[in-house]
Amino acid sequence: MKTLSRRAWILYALAALFVAGLGILFYTFWSNADDWAMRHANRHLYAGDTLTAAGSITDETGAVLAETVDGDRQYNDDRDVRTATLHVVGDSEGYIATGVQTAYQEELTGYNFVDGVYDVKRYGKGNDLQLSVNADLCVTAYDALGDEKGTVGIFNYETGQLVCVVSKPAFDIANKPTENINNDTTGEYEGVYMNRFFSGLYTPGSTFKIITAASAIDNISDIDDQRFRCTGSYGIDGGSVKCLGTHGTIGFERALNVSCNSAFAQIALQVGTENLTATTNALGFNQRYTLGNIRLAQSRFDLSEASQLDLGWAGVGQYTTLVNPCHMLMIVGAIANDGQAVMPYLVERITTQNGDTVLEAETTLGAQMFSESTAARLQELLRSNVENYYGDRRFRGLEMCGKTGTAEVSSEEGGDDPHAWFVGYSQREDLPYAIVVVVENGGGGSSTAIPVANEVMQAVDDLYGE
Amino acid sequence: MATKKKKATHARRYRKPVKWPFWLLLMTLFQLSCMLQIYINGTQESMVTLFTVYGVYIAAEWIYFFVFGIILRRKSFEIELIAFFLTGIGLTLTTSVYPDRAYTQLVAVLMGMIVFIVMLWVLSDTKRVIKLRTPVAILALAALGITLIIGDEINGARNWIVIGDGALSIQPSEIVKVAFVFVGAATLEHLQSTRSLTKYILFAGACIGMLFLMKDFGTALIFFFTFIVIAFLRSGDIKTIFLVCTAALLGGLGILTFRPYVANRFQTYRHVWEYSNGGGYQQVRLLIYSVSGGLFGLGIGNGRLRSVYAATEDLAFGMVCEEFGIIIAFTVLLTFVALVVYSIRYSVAARSTFYSIAALAASSLLLFQAALHVFGVTDLLPWTGVTLPFISRGGSSMMCCWGLVAFIKAIDVRTYRRYDKIERS
Ligand SMILES: [Zn+2]
Repeated sequence: MKTLSRRAWILYALAALFVAGLGILFYTFWSNADDWAMRHANRHLYAGDTLTAAGSITDETGAVLAETVDGDRQYNDDRDVRTATLHVVGDSEGYIATGVQTAYQEELTGYNFVDGVYDVKRYGKGNDLQLSVNADLCVTAYDALGDEKGTVGIFNYETGQLVCVVSKPAFDIANKPTENINNDTTGEYEGVYMNRFFSGLYTPGSTFKIITAASAIDNISDIDDQRFRCTGSYGIDGGSVKCLGTHGTIGFERALNVSCNSAFAQIALQVGTENLTATTNALGFNQRYTLGNIRLAQSRFDLSEASQLDLGWAGVGQYTTLVNPCHMLMIVGAIANDGQAVMPYLVERITTQNGDTVLEAETTLGAQMFSESTAARLQELLRSNVENYYGDRRFRGLEMCGKTGTAEVSSEEGGDDPHAWFVGYSQREDLPYAIVVVVENGGGGSSTAIPVANEVMQAVDDLYGE
Repeated sequence: MATKKKKATHARRYRKPVKWPFWLLLMTLFQLSCMLQIYINGTQESMVTLFTVYGVYIAAEWIYFFVFGIILRRKSFEIELIAFFLTGIGLTLTTSVYPDRAYTQLVAVLMGMIVFIVMLWVLSDTKRVIKLRTPVAILALAALGITLIIGDEINGARNWIVIGDGALSIQPSEIVKVAFVFVGAATLEHLQSTRSLTKYILFAGACIGMLFLMKDFGTALIFFFTFIVIAFLRSGDIKTIFLVCTAALLGGLGILTFRPYVANRFQTYRHVWEYSNGGGYQQVRLLIYSVSGGLFGLGIGNGRLRSVYAATEDLAFGMVCEEFGIIIAFTVLLTFVALVVYSIRYSVAARSTFYSIAALAASSLLLFQAALHVFGVTDLLPWTGVTLPFISRGGSSMMCCWGLVAFIKAIDVRTYRRYDKIERS
């Protein structure tokens, strides 16, 4: 009997093995729960591909953009609102990865490991989500883009609230033209599932001169005393950086006003590869940003294999540099905010059906992108651009500061016309909003992007200005 | 003097028995709440059926405890509490998913309890056990042989005997599990004659071989595991056991090589998400809905896994997770560990090695089957489709489980004698 009970100890080992297996199983459940529960086969949460268990999605004013009624996902009554807010709200199939219906699907259902889908069962739907954007402003911006593709983003550079995010082309989610999208040969729906503001990457063109200028202010002590000669191009090592005009001999501020490529190629060469790279790194190039659950496309700046000629081109925003529009908005926002970057946010608040707040937006500071003195000098320069070159009459009453860009795109990027950019902000104290506009193949920044920016900023003034 | 001292040691080994009236009351409340949830959800449309099933089951529990606890004044009831708790969960699942099969399952449960009591009586006398062992072995082999010849194939395994037009379907391999433990423990009672050991090895080999031919690999594995446990407890020869396991492993690999259809049954292993609408359909649903229930469950009738094919049998663990919650589901699994620990603790004080080996084999068989079910269906181990003891719907397996716990119950001397007498003597 004694030997037997000694042998029985092996069963303790088996029992211990079983308990260890249970531990592994529990860990597997715990660590995969969010992923598994959010599968479209989960009929607690989905009907087909539609996330029926989500609560309502509202805009800044409380206007309902999407809600579940009797197990059916319904969207805003107004076709224009549905179209303009498509990319922030997202589709039900999850093609638009940064739309909150996809990026915040877990928060929208209120699913968590402890309670499972209990609240969805109890209330018939999950949590409500309020966006930071204003739907009417989005409609204005979407219309302002006209027939062109592109994006407009506006945020409060002091608080981080994104009040306007649109991406074009879009479609009416209530009448999705699936056939047209799938059989699109004209390019009308090119990149329709991408929110260009969060996920787009564009050649920055002359908007990058803001960054070259910042590097010059930090690294060249006599930059304001220097004079640059422009004969329509600037030769480097047998090649040349071409300018869009022939500007003669001009100073630093004037060179930025008229966006002289010859001058900025010379400035880039003076600043040098190392300093320019250091400046872009400080501004968050080659860095992954996430705004809540939304990942931004990563802006790229790389001079590791650049020749002197390439450095000249990089200084005027060509070469291999690519910028994400939201990232660009953060950079100009930081200039307006005395060098301190503020992280933009898209989700104002998430509340449960019994009124508990799950998430509330709060102002999050990013990096100190510029020193206070550099930011102050850049503020003067950007103001000077509008005052002395674009003209305040094109931004009536807004006291805008900014810079346009006309980004040449290689044929593989598609289209012959350059991308038109405008980035800037109002310097009025009651209107702390910064804007970025990109019009794909829209032509000149000044001729195409400024009218769009003005139209939307006037609407911002009507909404928030005093 | 010496015997007195020994007795005293034994008496001390019996820890104070749990206060069964408290636990019985708690369990009854739990089962009444299950009934109430089914009533509110309306998953069982017939109120008569609902109240009859729970009424009869709860009454059976109380009658059992009244007779054995108050009239016969037995004191230790841990094993019955576990069995009644698990059976109650299984009965709840069947009643709410298959309203028309609730009575059948209730009858199976009552028959299981009768099997339990009859088994306890049979086991009380070792002479009777020795007398019965050869007939039981022959009957077991006959049952498997007949199944192999006239059995029906359900879900890829030819292990069913269907009588009438599906009015009664029996799974002989379940009932043979009880016989397997019985014969194993009884044959080895009067050892160490090589002849009895050889006979048992032949018997085990025949059983496992026939299960293989039926393509019931899960059950074959359970039999093999039980055989190893019994052989080791008896011989303590770890080298031989190791050799047998290696041989079995090689044999298994050989079968996978020469019979590719066997391997095909396991092709989704660790890839269930890739086959989520094919071979991994049931497992993927199980994983999704298990985590949907959260720690506390969605309540009886609120789950979605119940609408997946064979949920109450193959996916019983997932149904418990989703509707009862992960806490109760893991508690259920831990009770199987408790049965093994109980058997080990009492094996020292058992009346003879027969009782020790029978209890250890039966409890580790249940634990092993629970492991195959849970880890298989959650894709941590290859899925063999075995049921979760006590919880999965099925009459044969219900009777088998009650039969097996009788072995565990029998190890405790208090099963046959009054506690106060043991203490006094
Ligand atoms: Zn020039």
